[in-house]
Amino acid sequence: MNDALVLEGVTKRFGQFTAVDDFGLRLPAGQVLGFLGPNGAGKTTTIRMVMSIIYPDAGRIEVLGHPRASEVKDRIGYLPEERGLYRKMTVQETLTYFGRLKGLRGPVLRERIDEGLERIGLRDWRNKRVEALSKGMSQKLQFISAVLHRPELVILDEPFSGLDPLNVDLLERLLAELRQAGSTVVFSTHQMNQAERMCDRIVLINRGRKVIEGTVNEVRGRFATRIVVLDGDGALDALAHLDGVTNARITAGHARLELADHVDPTAVLEHALRMTRVVRFEVQRPDLQEVFVKLVGGDGAAGGAEPHPPPS
Amino acid sequence: MDKILAVARREFLATVRTKAFVLSVVLMPGIIVGAMLGGGLLQKQSAREEIPLRRLAVLDHSGAVLSDLSERIAAHNAERPNQPFELEAAVPETPVEELARRVRDGTLYAYLVLSEDAVSGNGGGTLARKDDSLQVGRGLEDMIHEAVTAARLREAGLDPERIVQVQSRPIPIRELDGRTGQPVASERFARMMTPFAFMFLLFMGTFGIGQGLLTTLIEEKGSRVIEVLLSAVSPMQLLTGKIVGMVAVGCLLVSVWGGVGFASAQKYHVAELVTGYRLLMALLYFLPGFLLLSSLLAAIGSACNELKEAQSMVFPLSLITIVPMIFWYYIAEHPQSPFSVALSYVPPVTPMVMVLRICADPYTPLWQLASTLALLWVSVFAAMWVAGKVFRVGVLMYGKPPTLTELARWVRYS
Repeated sequence: MNDALVLEGVTKRFGQFTAVDDFGLRLPAGQVLGFLGPNGAGKTTTIRMVMSIIYPDAGRIEVLGHPRASEVKDRIGYLPEERGLYRKMTVQETLTYFGRLKGLRGPVLRERIDEGLERIGLRDWRNKRVEALSKGMSQKLQFISAVLHRPELVILDEPFSGLDPLNVDLLERLLAELRQAGSTVVFSTHQMNQAERMCDRIVLINRGRKVIEGTVNEVRGRFATRIVVLDGDGALDALAHLDGVTNARITAGHARLELADHVDPTAVLEHALRMTRVVRFEVQRPDLQEVFVKLVGGDGAAGGAEPHPPPS
Repeated sequence: MDKILAVARREFLATVRTKAFVLSVVLMPGIIVGAMLGGGLLQKQSAREEIPLRRLAVLDHSGAVLSDLSERIAAHNAERPNQPFELEAAVPETPVEELARRVRDGTLYAYLVLSEDAVSGNGGGTLARKDDSLQVGRGLEDMIHEAVTAARLREAGLDPERIVQVQSRPIPIRELDGRTGQPVASERFARMMTPFAFMFLLFMGTFGIGQGLLTTLIEEKGSRVIEVLLSAVSPMQLLTGKIVGMVAVGCLLVSVWGGVGFASAQKYHVAELVTGYRLLMALLYFLPGFLLLSSLLAAIGSACNELKEAQSMVFPLSLITIVPMIFWYYIAEHPQSPFSVALSYVPPVTPMVMVLRICADPYTPLWQLASTLALLWVSVFAAMWVAGKVFRVGVLMYGKPPTLTELARWVRYS
């Protein structure tokens, strides 16, 4: 019962279009989940269902042990994909209002506001109207207003989109702090390297269906495709014809080979040593970017729950 | 509850702090008072205006009016020395074309031709003036009528002065308020206008609300704040908060203007125009009136993405509210006519019509008060129910605004 978020068989249709199809997920409390998928995959719809802004047609959702997020709204922080603030309100008023809506009052609220503004470097802007802020500033302001009440569960829809590298860095640190403080964090992104760097678990969704779920290592490991990178002095072309090499990219002095499941990378090394002097040898697992491209890339036919077999 | 109040507070402040609102609060009474004072001032100003001597040539074929007329002209000149006339008796042979030419070249202001039988029979006269001033024309005509009447009286062997004396002193009638037995201090005109003022108050109040509610809702949808709000409060809480905030705005508007009205009624000793009973009735009808309007507007606003769309959807509603504005005089004069009674049972305008009728006729039957209020409250709850349904779906809908059939479907299925 220590799951912050449970989804089972969640389905949502808009007319003829099935936006989310039989989606399931289990996220232990205190972990960071990266919610990956191409545009239009159903990420935002799923998040909105979790937030009980819209309701699923079928399936079960459990948020912090409750069947509906609306029952635990004050324990959740939410940053929607579509960013919006009241343009005519000042920074201070905005935070006060959203804080109140989340149940914060009086001196605690004031303290949190001071703290939050300090953290994102907007102290001097507190009495300025929101319309005077830059895009990055208002995005940071929104983030702070979403976590002002120290929520147990933070759900962020594309929190990094549109931020410059400095602010991305700041936001990553803020998220890490949240995690350290014990919050469960879910964020959607299509920045694979970011997910790899920050997440305990990832789930990949495409065309409304879950494609893969697990810890970052599990997901990478599930892809039997192993990659061997090899630098050598002589001609390496012959390696392409080795048994079990499914894909090869060979240039002068460099080979990048994808191996089938049954092949032992050391056999490849032995073979190469017989041909030439090897300067570098490395067995790589595919990074999330490659997994992503492989699973959803191109034809978009990758709607299945199982990863495709490596191309042969 | 706390959250509803937080929403209401923001809605209230967001509306009240706009320049448009402050302007309308201050300007509206300002414009009304200004129009009234300004009219009076202009009138005084026009009385003081210096007008050079105007010559009036009279061609009196009857020969009996001229002396009476010149007496009246003299009296006028004594009363208004800054706007004098000068009478010129034209010899009977003077051709009218000659007089007309002199009016054209400016040496005459006007000429008057009286027919031979103007006094003795049915004959009349012709008055040709250089300008079209309504007031001057009336003044001259009055003087001519009086002169002819005096001439006729004399011809009948009566003393015109005596007759005028008898006629010009009607018996003084003191008016008492039939209910209180107190003397009525106010003028008839003021009394006639008061019901209208009460209704106008309500009209402006709803106007203020409408603008505020629509603009904040459209802004929230446009900037997508709505989703953040919905992550913190339920749609019903949000809707309720908005309505509460807007009703507060309406009450503020009405109490500011009502207070100004009450204070000025006290100051000018016409307190009976703004009585406790009238204020109480106004309040009883304003509250459900505002609630009804706010919920309808919230439903409309939530379904639209642009102010323009919203305004075109609000148009039928504003059209209905204009009906009592157009017929207010008839309703005030005939508060018990079938038309007035029937219009009292059209919920969006019930408050306006009823306030108008109650002010015009304090004896509006109790059963009508009870039934209109009941109907009003029933429609308030119906509107809130519908608004709740539409709001839930509408606030997250983007794209083209829904048609009425689509709206009906939202209500049925949500």
